[in-house]
Amino acid sequence: MSGLRRLLFVLLWMTVSASAVSVQRFPPPEFENEYIIPTPVTPPPRSMTMEIVDTAVLAAALALGSWLALKKRSRKGIVLLSAACLAYFGFWRKGCICPIGAIGNVSLALFDADYAIPWTVTAFFFLPMIFTLFFGRSFCGSACPLGAVQDLVLLRPVRIPEWMEAPLRLLAWLYLSLAVLFAATASAFVICRYDPFVAFFRFSANPALWVMSFAMLVISILVGRPYCRFLCPYGVILRQIGRFSKFRVTITPDECIRCRLCENSCPFGAIDRPTVEWPRTEYARGRRRLLLFFGLLPVLIAGAAALGYAAGPKLAMTHPDVRLAKLVALEQSQAMKEPPDEIKAFRTTGQTAEALYREADRKQRQFAVGSTLVGGWMGLLAGVTLIQNSIFWRRSDYEARRSGCVACGRCFNACPPHRQWLKNKQDKTPGK
Amino acid sequence: MRRIWGVLLIKQTGKIHSAILTGLVLAVAVLAGVCAFFLFDAPGSNGSLGPEYSYDIEHYAKIDSALILYRQVGDPIRTGLTKTHAVTVDGQRQLYIAGDRTIVVYTAQGRRQKDIPLEGEPTCLHVDSDGALIVGLTDHIVFLENTGVVRNQWEPPAAGALLTSIAADKEDVFAADAVNKVVWRYNRKGEILNRLGQKDPDRNIPGIVIPSPYFDIAAYPDGLLRVVNPGRHWIEACTPDGHREWHWGISGIAVEGFSGCCNPVSLAVLPDGGFVTAEKGLVRVKVYDAEGEFVGVVAGPEQLGWIEPLRVCKTPEECKAKGFDVAADADGRIYILNTFNSTVMIFEKK
Repeated sequence: MSGLRRLLFVLLWMTVSASAVSVQRFPPPEFENEYIIPTPVTPPPRSMTMEIVDTAVLAAALALGSWLALKKRSRKGIVLLSAACLAYFGFWRKGCICPIGAIGNVSLALFDADYAIPWTVTAFFFLPMIFTLFFGRSFCGSACPLGAVQDLVLLRPVRIPEWMEAPLRLLAWLYLSLAVLFAATASAFVICRYDPFVAFFRFSANPALWVMSFAMLVISILVGRPYCRFLCPYGVILRQIGRFSKFRVTITPDECIRCRLCENSCPFGAIDRPTVEWPRTEYARGRRRLLLFFGLLPVLIAGAAALGYAAGPKLAMTHPDVRLAKLVALEQSQAMKEPPDEIKAFRTTGQTAEALYREADRKQRQFAVGSTLVGGWMGLLAGVTLIQNSIFWRRSDYEARRSGCVACGRCFNACPPHRQWLKNKQDKTPGK
Repeated sequence: MRRIWGVLLIKQTGKIHSAILTGLVLAVAVLAGVCAFFLFDAPGSNGSLGPEYSYDIEHYAKIDSALILYRQVGDPIRTGLTKTHAVTVDGQRQLYIAGDRTIVVYTAQGRRQKDIPLEGEPTCLHVDSDGALIVGLTDHIVFLENTGVVRNQWEPPAAGALLTSIAADKEDVFAADAVNKVVWRYNRKGEILNRLGQKDPDRNIPGIVIPSPYFDIAAYPDGLLRVVNPGRHWIEACTPDGHREWHWGISGIAVEGFSGCCNPVSLAVLPDGGFVTAEKGLVRVKVYDAEGEFVGVVAGPEQLGWIEPLRVCKTPEECKAKGFDVAADADGRIYILNTFNSTVMIFEKK
């Protein structure tokens, strides 16, 4: 068993061992008066049967998507499947649950023994990973509703320069790291709150989220899958797993003839071109740059960790107890004319201010450690990105990048051997 | 300005400079997204809701003096108990207060007569026609002689029962169970005959809604049991075999209604057939006639010396602790047990 597969197994075991079936703990009162209970904006809890159905649909979509991308090599099939998943997981299931948001639940389950993660969330989190490990990122290409929206609205793709790609991808790492930090400290599930397309799925959001959603939609018309490539925290995880996938999407079903026709077929910048040998002078310059970046790595890590540490108190304000403690302290210093609702509500709990301060202090310490680690981690990633870009990678063919390819099949039809392969297949079809 | 845009966007050939237009659209979209991201108050850290959302009930706490038909008699009786649950009064106007692991008995003159120790915490109390005490000890009923000697003890009616009120007539004993949301009907041997209040659409019984552990009942001279349905803000009249005959009571924060998640919390029958009710949250003790028409107020927050914040309990958790209990004697005096400070206030008609 490879190291990555072992890690996945351990993660799966840790979360499953703390999982629970979601049940209604206390029946709501049966008020029967003129009060009209408002419709919640979040989807209601699902019955056990429907949870099983959801999981089965995801598994089926992943299996079908993998088959369409690897065996059938059908872009049309992938688009249809993607649209169906958009309808099911996006508009019907209203974007919840999804593997991307499940990062928050899994993080909390790993750090808080008292949190019982629903089994469906665990299944949704691990199923795409397992499929990616074997068949590449078929989840991104076929089953993800967010990916489907971006893929379907892409009308006029603008190519992002290669030098911008890697730094922009660091945003996704930062998002993932902060999301884990916020979830692990039981502060917030930010990935769900900032879901870029949930406003469309539910036809409901506050004005700021609507603006964000429309902005993302407009960007998606011009830039291929901007959320998947530069922000998606789950995409970052799948990218890394995709590097080790057993099977993967290839541009050509046969030998690459280096016709260059596929060169511009991928709007997501996931096709690696054949490399030409660097001139001797470039090698020497590259070596010097590599040495410099290796030397710079500890500085980057330390600097970013210090930045993370400095951001800790601000990030800690995400936790409701820390915010409440600040409010209570402010009120006790008599800097407030009228106590806000939060303080009034706090008083009715009977909890003392000292107990609240202790809890807030504990959370702030957790954030100090967590944000320092996040900072250091980001510094390391920035350094690794610099080093990676300074290394000469030898390639003789056009290849779909293992990590970056979302198995959407856009490159298939640009490849003459693929078209020939299709033709041969049709010729062999009985009755033709 | 138009000229600058024209120069930027229109090529010399007269065609639109699509690269610049695309760049502009992208820049605007990214900028709007970033601004919205920082304006999006996900954790709600921008502070409280505005004043338009405040729910000020102080207005309702001030009761029109013309509606107050009762006045307090003497000083409150201080029981010295730490946790009290129930008050009742017998034919001789002897007062019984159940709390801690005791029943405290006061004479009609307000002198402490005796303390009857109990094996457990009493949650409700009834004085039988022969002077015996029927006490609910959380999940089961105990019969005591007036001297405190245990006469009989019955098994809990169901697992996890919480008995919150007892009523009795010659043949039957009724016990309100707030957990199982039913009234258990026993015969005098302690056998369960039937249960009242269980949801049954076929018999037009909507079921008892009890969001917090307050569930009171009272026997009535017409032979029908009066059962408080606190979640529905009404009082039901039921036959002993469980038929619901009618109900009275309206939801509303105004003085004639019952408000919040669950009210009234307590009920007593007056000698003229009227009713006394007690509410929690927005604390009020009020009088209704035999038909359930609002008559007047015994005491509002001011008369009860209420110093806690007044509120309408939107959730049971907000008002879980402590609701007043009420009792009435043969002369129409009303006894209010303040469970916060374990005192009893006595009111009589003006």
